[in-house]
Amino acid sequence: MSTPLLVPVYATYAAISVGLTVYLARTLSRNGAVFLDDVFKDNPKLAEAVNKLLVVGFYLVNLGYAALIMKSDPAETSVAAVEVLAWKLGALLMSLAFMHFVNLYVFYRIRRRSRLAQLPPPVAPQMQLPPHHAQAYAYAQQPAAVPAR
Amino acid sequence: MGITLLYDARCALCIRCAVWVSRQESFVPIRFLACDSPEARETYGGVPWLGEELVVVSDRGEVWAGPAAFITALWALREWREWSYRISGPELAPLAERFFHAISSNRRAIAAMIAPDPCAGGTCRVPHAFR
Repeated sequence: MSTPLLVPVYATYAAISVGLTVYLARTLSRNGAVFLDDVFKDNPKLAEAVNKLLVVGFYLVNLGYAALIMKSDPAETSVAAVEVLAWKLGALLMSLAFMHFVNLYVFYRIRRRSRLAQLPPPVAPQMQLPPHHAQAYAYAQQPAAVPAR
Repeated sequence: MGITLLYDARCALCIRCAVWVSRQESFVPIRFLACDSPEARETYGGVPWLGEELVVVSDRGEVWAGPAAFITALWALREWREWSYRISGPELAPLAERFFHAISSNRRAIAAMIAPDPCAGGTCRVPHAFR
């Protein structure tokens, strides 16, 4: 029976995968909070909520994936058992890395979108009218300081 | 900052485009004004491109015309701001400019192809939802 050799493999695998996932999720939420606070300046509660939701998703995907790939062929020798363990941890680390970069990309997109709202028009105006006509609009924020060319 | 978009109300294509713009989500308020309306003539009469090209005026008095006005109109829209930077970059700007000029100077012909003679008698019907 090869089962006795698989039990320590499974035990080590479970311990390492859960530990790694927890560690990475905490790192992600701690550092992600900085990004999100910057994006949702006007609404810190929303930043916190988005952060929590992202972390929950991270846990679900990673622990789910770790559980799915746990089953392995029986290892006949202790060398084979170590190999099985290494292969599984490698696969898990790859999936964690992938998830991690996806998360970073999500943070990057969120932040870029919020910065886009602040940017000026990409092309310079061809002409400057005296701003007096602007007063007619309800939404005019402030009179222009630039005199007519 | 808000912008005023001065479009050609005698061209079906232009009305269609203006309606499209009005349905997009925007970063800044957009006001639509037919370029031959009395208000446009009175307020923006000093803009030399009025009636010839698409004109966008910000409420700070900055004026964009032609391709620059197209780009500024895109810039005002939530989904298109990124593209406004992309097409005004060094690689795409010449292409975008040619494209906008081609559309703009043939707008009557294109409009005739989409909807034959929509402005008979010199007036186009501006959709009610858009004003």
